[in-house]
Amino acid sequence: MTLHRLSLRLRQAIMTLHRLSLRLRQAVTQARHLHSSRRGQQLEAVAVEPELPKELSFFRTRESDPACHAEVHMGQYYTLSPVHLRTVFPHGLPSRFQLQMKTFNETCVMVRQPALELISHLKKADYSKPAVRYMFYGANGCGKTISLCHALHYCYTQGWLVLHIPDAHLWVKNCKELLPSTFSPSRFDQPIEASHWLRNFKITNEPLLSKLKTTQRYVWTKRESTEEGRTLAELVEQGVARVRTSSDVVGALLKELRLQAGQPMEGRQEGFRLAVAVDGVNALWGRTSLKKEDKSVVAPEELTLIHNLRKMMKNDWCGGAVISSLSQTGSLFKPKDVYLPQELLGEDGFDDMDPFVPVPVSNYSEKESESCYLYYMDRNWLQHPHSRTEEGKKELLFLSNRNPNVLERLCASL
Amino acid sequence: MSASTMCTTALSFTRTNGLCLGNYALRLLNRTATYSTALSTNNGKGFPNRGIRGPRRPKRESGAPRTEKMPENQDWTAVYPSAAPFKPSAVPLPVRMGYPVNRGVPAEKKGNLELMKIPNFLHLTPAAIQKHCDALKPFCTEWPAGLDSDAAREEHFPIQVESKEFVSAGSSLRNPKTRVVTLRVKLSSLNLDEHARKKMVKLVGDRYCEETDTLTIVTENCPLRQQNYDYAMYLLTVLYHESWKTEVWEAEKTRADMEEYHWDDSRSQKNVLDTLRRMRVTSEGEEDPGAVREELLGQPEVQEYRESVTRLKNEGETEETMLQYREAVKKLLNV
Repeated sequence: MTLHRLSLRLRQAIMTLHRLSLRLRQAVTQARHLHSSRRGQQLEAVAVEPELPKELSFFRTRESDPACHAEVHMGQYYTLSPVHLRTVFPHGLPSRFQLQMKTFNETCVMVRQPALELISHLKKADYSKPAVRYMFYGANGCGKTISLCHALHYCYTQGWLVLHIPDAHLWVKNCKELLPSTFSPSRFDQPIEASHWLRNFKITNEPLLSKLKTTQRYVWTKRESTEEGRTLAELVEQGVARVRTSSDVVGALLKELRLQAGQPMEGRQEGFRLAVAVDGVNALWGRTSLKKEDKSVVAPEELTLIHNLRKMMKNDWCGGAVISSLSQTGSLFKPKDVYLPQELLGEDGFDDMDPFVPVPVSNYSEKESESCYLYYMDRNWLQHPHSRTEEGKKELLFLSNRNPNVLERLCASL
Repeated sequence: MSASTMCTTALSFTRTNGLCLGNYALRLLNRTATYSTALSTNNGKGFPNRGIRGPRRPKRESGAPRTEKMPENQDWTAVYPSAAPFKPSAVPLPVRMGYPVNRGVPAEKKGNLELMKIPNFLHLTPAAIQKHCDALKPFCTEWPAGLDSDAAREEHFPIQVESKEFVSAGSSLRNPKTRVVTLRVKLSSLNLDEHARKKMVKLVGDRYCEETDTLTIVTENCPLRQQNYDYAMYLLTVLYHESWKTEVWEAEKTRADMEEYHWDDSRSQKNVLDTLRRMRVTSEGEEDPGAVREELLGQPEVQEYRESVTRLKNEGETEETMLQYREAVKKLLNV
């Protein structure tokens, strides 16, 4: 009995030592991040430190630049700096992940195979050819949105212009105001959603927007118009300020970006690259839950925002990539267990997106689930005594079937 | 016998239920038991010579049951020549049937109502059936030697007609279900070309099973079986001739009406050609569109892509088909 108690105490002591050392390391890395962000350069890569002994750094990596992530870092968590977080993802991350961020006081994303594959494709691609479309697909809660965000972080650190629509499903349901479009009589505008999105878009891309210019004159109303040669930043301001025409502003902005991506611009030899990231892309071809005044259902193509976004999804422009992910969670009128592309996109959607590169996302592998468990332990998230044992860990992994979302919800209630 | 059993059951009842019957109640039970004992002198044969005041007719002893007189090589068909209820004295088997009361054994066959109630096939032993067959043989002809396999039967007799006969004893011999006629034929045995086959499948709808390639026509509209059979043959003839004809309006068949997915002239082909053309134009100058199209379509990557898309659409979507599509697109777009 006494031996057992002694061994237990020894184990607890080792755990506390482990936790202390990790906290020290984490404090050191955070200090380094703050230091680097003070320099204000987006493209600077944090130097890779010599790795500490394997057991302590099993689930974390100091490499916070997605461009340098490799197979070695698979299964490890990398930290996003707060500066990057504020600019790249003002509205991008899923809500549960945002809660986790606030609780843990840090943003850690796991480096996984689908995102790495996509980043390697983006590195090798030829940007004088038409844009390649990539699509993340997988069961509910597998990590499609987070993989998308990881890839987007990479694009941002490489200086691309990031066009991120966090959830296309939000544009086809629960719309408070639906105005008839000023531009085309058969379409409908969504001023609130459009202006909200434009505001977030501006936060992400301010420096690049002030360098790009419009190529034609846009007339919004009898008194307002944007002349040719004004910066896109002004265009966006116009949309944010005048909420009534914000949907049309979005349309004009997308058109301009399509024309100018890949074209050489002032001060640089080659043009900027455009990353279009849409989460929940199946909303563009699904059904809406919006109704017109005569109670008939609104089709997605009758919404200005959706109409313009569909044009963006085609590969008739060069100099960038379209990264999308399917989502059943927010979708309308789709059964719960569908996750394959054709089922969620439908015939129309598939024909529109064809040919695209599907990237499957699956549940955690053994190594990844180990790493996730260690991360929660490190953050002191698992309070239940049984969950800290080996058996408890096996139980958690079995109950969640290594599904990231389910595992997170289970651990949250412990 | 019955009194003692009643006594024991009564006592066991009290014991198991845990009831404590009072002294008075126990004495009452015993008194009833003793009262009933005096009455049961009967040996089980109901009311013999009921109400006779004089001397009774002397009882005759029943003889040994037939089972004891049966030799082993007897002719069983003589014991049970036709369907008859179970006679315990005629069946020499020590069979028991019933619920084992009081953790005992099932009841014996003598006087066993359960054995008498159920149907038995003692009149249809292999020996009896052999006798039936021997009796029917003079009326039968030989099975044709050439029809010894399923394939041969399919080839020579592709149409199978099925109808049912009902035999029951009742006030009327007729059964309305006898008029139903089922006609089964495989479409592969009919002379149909591609267009005729597709039209036939569309005309019959649910009556065609794709897995077994069988068309089933069930007719019960007419009152007589002969009439239903004629009607079914007529339907088959009409379907065959109609599916060979091509109507004028069939030229308006749209993509949505097609049974299978064809890649040629589909959105997918258009998309691929556009993409490849754009990829080329960025590197070279203008070329003759027709020749370019042919050349693009002839590339092995495009062929592979076409295979994967056709498979995806026709066979349905699974992980496997999706992965094949993925590989094909990666090769096509040089990713």
